[in-house]
Amino acid sequence: MSIIEVTNLTKYYGKSRGIVDVSFKEEEGEIFGFIGPNGAGKSTTIRLLLSLIHPTSGSARVFGKDVTTHGPEIRRDIGYLPSEVFYYEGMKVIDLLKYSASFYGKDCTERLHELSEYMELELNRRISDLSYGNKKKVGIVQGLLHSPKLLLLDEPTAGLDPLMQRKFFDLIRKENTRGVTVFFSSHILGEVQRLCTRVGIIREGRIVEISDIRTLQQDNYKKVNVTAAGLDQATFALPGVTNVQVEDGTLHFFFKGDINAVLKKLSSLKLSDVTIEEPTLEEIFMHYYE
Amino acid sequence: MNIFIRELKANLKSLLIWSGVMLLLILVGTAKFSAYYNNPSMLAILDTFPKAMIDAMSLKTFNLTTVIGFFGLMFLYFGLMGGIAAAMWGSDIISKEERDRTVEFSLVLPVSRSRVITAKALAALVNCVLFVLVTWGGSLVAVQSYKPDQAFYDYLTLEMEAMFVLELLFLAIGLMLGCVMKQYKRSGSTAVAIILTAYFLSVMSGMQEKLDFLKYFTPFKYFDAGELLRSGKMDAVYLFISAAIIVVSVVAAYWVYNKRDLYI
Repeated sequence: MSIIEVTNLTKYYGKSRGIVDVSFKEEEGEIFGFIGPNGAGKSTTIRLLLSLIHPTSGSARVFGKDVTTHGPEIRRDIGYLPSEVFYYEGMKVIDLLKYSASFYGKDCTERLHELSEYMELELNRRISDLSYGNKKKVGIVQGLLHSPKLLLLDEPTAGLDPLMQRKFFDLIRKENTRGVTVFFSSHILGEVQRLCTRVGIIREGRIVEISDIRTLQQDNYKKVNVTAAGLDQATFALPGVTNVQVEDGTLHFFFKGDINAVLKKLSSLKLSDVTIEEPTLEEIFMHYYE
Repeated sequence: MNIFIRELKANLKSLLIWSGVMLLLILVGTAKFSAYYNNPSMLAILDTFPKAMIDAMSLKTFNLTTVIGFFGLMFLYFGLMGGIAAAMWGSDIISKEERDRTVEFSLVLPVSRSRVITAKALAALVNCVLFVLVTWGGSLVAVQSYKPDQAFYDYLTLEMEAMFVLELLFLAIGLMLGCVMKQYKRSGSTAVAIILTAYFLSVMSGMQEKLDFLKYFTPFKYFDAGELLRSGKMDAVYLFISAAIIVVSVVAAYWVYNKRDLYI
């Protein structure tokens, strides 16, 4: 059974597009990256999964149950971290967390304190006095304190300083090794690359690609950097070579195809340096968006 | 239960402010009344007022030199304030979650939307009950120096019952607006606009015979203080209309809120 199963999911807000015909599956224990620029439909998808909004057509199932009919039951095992967190301003952090915990029918006190300590959260401050980043920390603790089986993260790192981001990623990884499934939406590819096993790329409301992060990087392109005397644009005029750039006597290009062709060409040159590497997701991503 | 208690706490300040204003109104009212009390020359002054004004303020029904008469006049303010407070509580308790964007927290918790409405409506209802009790208690204390008779106490009880029905009515309408309206920011002001319109309709229907039919459209005429004094009870037809409006509003609130998208 898939943890998330989305089938031809479509959402229009009146006439404006949310998402169109989105289908994907996420299996138990996966960390699924959901990448796309702002406005592509990432948040719409997540809000549909949480039944905050209802689909125009298509369906979504979480833990095998339909989201529109089994919302409360499904949400019992979901932890959600939105990109911007909003809580009742007048409440103290500890009261808000206890309030949140009271809905899950189990004792979360120990975990509450554990997580708060880990995230360096001050429990006695009022929500209204917190900075953006500190509110985000409250969001992380609140999203995790009931030990959810599925984490929905919507651009979760916004507002966190690099140190906290790293702590947060470690936390997510730790949760994942305990068997928690993670759905991670982001427009920052670096973080998706660090964390995710599989990615879906969404653009203008539609899924353009779903693949294993390794296949996306390995099977497609190699990034080649060559430094040698007398290089120009035409030196590597081979089939499969794209994005050729010359910069300070170094030639950069992407290559897709039989790598031996490139190696052969390389061996005929007098090189001072060469690297052949996997392109970053960022570079592949730009390719999808060109 | 947790939502209910949180809402009670969150609305306590509003209840205290409304109660304070109500007590102040009663205090100022009874202070002014001391000038009318057992003072026939005041009646002569009232007789010189234009007829339209007398009708608009329904002054002719009441003998303002008695405690009963004076509280007949005061009911207007009780009803108006009770209605406005209830409508604001009803609409705000739902729409504030979208306004403050906390809906992305509160409705991601494992609760159904119906459970949220029920808990919140009950919290607002408790506020309404307490508001009536404050008004009642304040009135009882304020009139002690005039040593009113049993007839006054009976009438005050009836007034408080009528105020409560008005509160229920506008609470239900406010709740519906909060649940149904797309422009959640306006649900509170819409609720108040409806009340003020209803109030002016009731004033107009009192001023002109031709406009008498308007009385069915304004809850303030359902429970007219003069009528309550004359008959000694609330009109069954109007009670029925009120109940119907309440049921329709509440059903619409649950139905639409369960179906609609939340605005985030």
